Amino acid sequence: MPPPEPAAGTTEGRRATCGGCGLACDDITVVPRGDGGLERLERTCPLGDAWFAERTAPAPPVARVDGAEVALEHALDEAAAILGAARAPLVYGLGGTTCETQRAAVALAETIGAVIDPAGPLLDGAAGLAYQTLGASTATLGDIRDRAEVVVVWRADPAVTHPRLFERLRLPGEHRELVVVDERRTATAEQAGVFLELPAERDVEALWTLRALVREAPLARGPAPDPGLADLAARLRGCANGAILHRVRGHVEALALHSLVRDLARITHVVALLLRREVNAAGAEDVLAWQTGYPTAVSFAPGHPRSAPGELNAAAVLARGDADAALVVASDPLEQLPPDAAEQLRAIPLVCVDARDTATARAARVAFTTAAPGVHRAGVVHRLDGVPVPFRAPLASSRPGDDELLAALAGRLAAAREAVA
Amino acid sequence: MLRIAGGRVYDPANGVAGEERDVCLDGGKVVDDVPAHAPRIDARGMVVMPGGVDIHAHIAGPKVNAARRLAPEEHRADVVDRTAILRSGTGGTVPSTFVTGYRYALLGYTTVVEAATPPLAARHVLAELRDTPVIDSLFLVLMGNNLALFDLIRRDPARVRDAVAWWLEATGGYGVKLVNPGGVERWKHGNGNVTSLDDDVVGITPRRVLDAIATAVHDLGLPHPVHVHCNNLGVAGNYRTTLDTLRTLEGRRAHLAHLQFHAYGGRAGGRPRSRAPELAEYLGAHPELSADVGQVMFGPATTMTADAPVSAILRDVTGGKWVNADTEVETGCGIVPFTYREKNYVHALQWGIGLELFLLSRDPWRTVLSTDHPNGGSFLSYPKLIRLLMDREFRNEQLRRANQRAIRSTVLLDDLDREYTLEEIAIITRAGPARLLGLRDKGHLGVGADADVTIYDERADREEMFAAPRHVLKAGRAIVRDGELVEAGAGELLRVAAPYDDAIDDVLRDRFEERYSVQFDSYPVSEPWLLEPARRVPARPTS
Repeated sequence: MPPPEPAAGTTEGRRATCGGCGLACDDITVVPRGDGGLERLERTCPLGDAWFAERTAPAPPVARVDGAEVALEHALDEAAAILGAARAPLVYGLGGTTCETQRAAVALAETIGAVIDPAGPLLDGAAGLAYQTLGASTATLGDIRDRAEVVVVWRADPAVTHPRLFERLRLPGEHRELVVVDERRTATAEQAGVFLELPAERDVEALWTLRALVREAPLARGPAPDPGLADLAARLRGCANGAILHRVRGHVEALALHSLVRDLARITHVVALLLRREVNAAGAEDVLAWQTGYPTAVSFAPGHPRSAPGELNAAAVLARGDADAALVVASDPLEQLPPDAAEQLRAIPLVCVDARDTATARAARVAFTTAAPGVHRAGVVHRLDGVPVPFRAPLASSRPGDDELLAALAGRLAAAREAVA
Repeated sequence: MLRIAGGRVYDPANGVAGEERDVCLDGGKVVDDVPAHAPRIDARGMVVMPGGVDIHAHIAGPKVNAARRLAPEEHRADVVDRTAILRSGTGGTVPSTFVTGYRYALLGYTTVVEAATPPLAARHVLAELRDTPVIDSLFLVLMGNNLALFDLIRRDPARVRDAVAWWLEATGGYGVKLVNPGGVERWKHGNGNVTSLDDDVVGITPRRVLDAIATAVHDLGLPHPVHVHCNNLGVAGNYRTTLDTLRTLEGRRAHLAHLQFHAYGGRAGGRPRSRAPELAEYLGAHPELSADVGQVMFGPATTMTADAPVSAILRDVTGGKWVNADTEVETGCGIVPFTYREKNYVHALQWGIGLELFLLSRDPWRTVLSTDHPNGGSFLSYPKLIRLLMDREFRNEQLRRANQRAIRSTVLLDDLDREYTLEEIAIITRAGPARLLGLRDKGHLGVGADADVTIYDERADREEMFAAPRHVLKAGRAIVRDGELVEAGAGELLRVAAPYDDAIDDVLRDRFEERYSVQFDSYPVSEPWLLEPARRVPARPTS
């Protein structure tokens, strides 16, 4: 499956794609050391530096059970026993690894009748329900860069979360307006021509007011709308092409935002793009959707995919005590889930597959430390705008990839099921 | 090794029309004979045809997946359980990948064309096709609104041919698709569109795009001619644009996608009329041209197209869900779930025009079956469509239920009593599409053909007959046995091999960095697990 690894010992720069955020910048150069380690990176941002560093740091043994190093085969048997015996397993993570591994994870979840949640801990899937209700209008980065005369950043701080976004969109730029809407003057807002201060809880109200303004519909009696909103509405109405880059938090907010985009679509060409943070959050939704029909958490317990948004998301499943074992892939939920869910996760047998040593890996009954996708293993990731980008393997590793590991695990589980049947 | 014994064989490519004979398979191919002790299927009383070939459907990639994600209610109502050999999934008009493969196989189809791939998304399309079991698949690469190609057409037309071949090689594609050339670029720029072949779009016209790309495809000798979704889809009066397109393409082969949607008279903005007779006449007189019909079927559908401005119009018709997705440099995409209703004038007219195109067709080899799945209806509706073509009484009964004003504007009530024969059905569903695609090993049962065979129980109700083949063999293996899916291995990717001058690399590299948001070196698909295994179909250059 994976292409041949680069020969150890050569130290010329190698092309790489960064997994530090959803942008998946594919112009990175990795310069290796003579011993195959990481010497130097070119064109990375601070998030990228940290991302590569975490994956090239000294790593724990390939396989551990209860924290102690064991043979890989033994750990695979242990993990298969845990997941095979579980009545309500949970498969979690996925946004940090490749589509190839995601495919393997969905197949494995199906084999064991698990709940699988692709959303990850960073709320990258928050807009999914609104999409299913209304649809969306969106565009890839290149089109936004080359066409959008007005770029609105709504409730997001890409200067921190996506440090190279503006470089890649050539912002700020001539004849292009950058408007930031947020509760405080963020690092991103510092670069904006216009900053609109909006308390966090006022998204829906503001978006609804904007809807009325762009439709030139009469507003209910009361105080006149915020002149900032009126100004924003005028800019959006007046442009031939605009883009709203956002990280709205909840379902209702996402509905309001997509409703606004839809209203605008009748007047001008405006698109919205969710600034997903995990490098392959879009891929996790895509893979689950093509294999099951649903982009949000599903349960395979009935023998087919069952979707119940809200009910089946990992935090809710855990908080209800509805999971009796978990497989975590390329994610650190113990650090990122709400405390009650994390508490439950800690209480059940846990199998962790990751290239890093995380809090979750350290707490796991069985922990596999794999080669790192994007550093030691190639694959494909879907950038935040859905564009598939090659994840390369600039460095070598003798460890198994996470896709190989999941395939080995699935093989054991399928064999066990067959033996029972 | 297998002998399919004593069936009535329909193999129009080899002049076999219902003769009782044996078909022998070995090593994944049709062979002349197999030893007497070889396993056999007793096909007496059954109808034997090559596996079905769908020349135009939407089954994989970002556009299809965006539509899947949009339809949880359809999926909840149509679930497929996991079995010892099958993955689970969901159906509806846009099934999950596994279910797509299974249901095509259960319908007796063994080769399917994904008709619209944005080249930038080739990896996504390939990954979905790898998860679409049983059927062989191939995809057409969108080139009608590609700004880098526009630039070449304007400044360096001699390079267009190499660039087209480069794009096919970079993506793993099979053929070239043009969708509303120029119009989608206008849409992305500010919700515009083109209305004629001579409208200006960033210094070029739809006519120039058609001419340049069709010439490139012709000169490259690709196995499938340029596959064109004309400008002005769905607009009253658009048959003029369609005829203009065909005249522009003169001298080169061309395939028109879903002709039904381009066969309307009347005035733009007004009530459409049927112009199917004129188009059927023109097509009949020009042997270098072909079309798939794009029949609409009453009931649920999901419209999905690279022709995004059309979707915006449909959005305003339904007021329901709508997706628009712009792909930089290359294309757009629009999705609107849709229901065709028999009492609705326009829908009934579309339905009637599709039937007219079939029934007036002079050459079944060049007017072949499609519903533009799932735009005009799911591929699962093909059996009903076949019955409409084969069974005049059934058709007349359906005609009476449809909007009469619409039906009266067609020629369907004018003694159009043609009934398709089984041989003609074999042509429009396998032999014809395979020939138009240049797939020499598909769509027939001659010695050396792929051992893709569908065996039907002969039944008077043609819908029932074609909905549930008794046996389906794929590459010689029994996939469907007694109506049950018994094996679901991987299908094959079919891709073209069209040589080109490597110098095009540097020409394109210069244009890439300024236009795309991915690196030139990231763009061509290189992942072996996406590209392999594949079968290469060679181009035969004409110059």
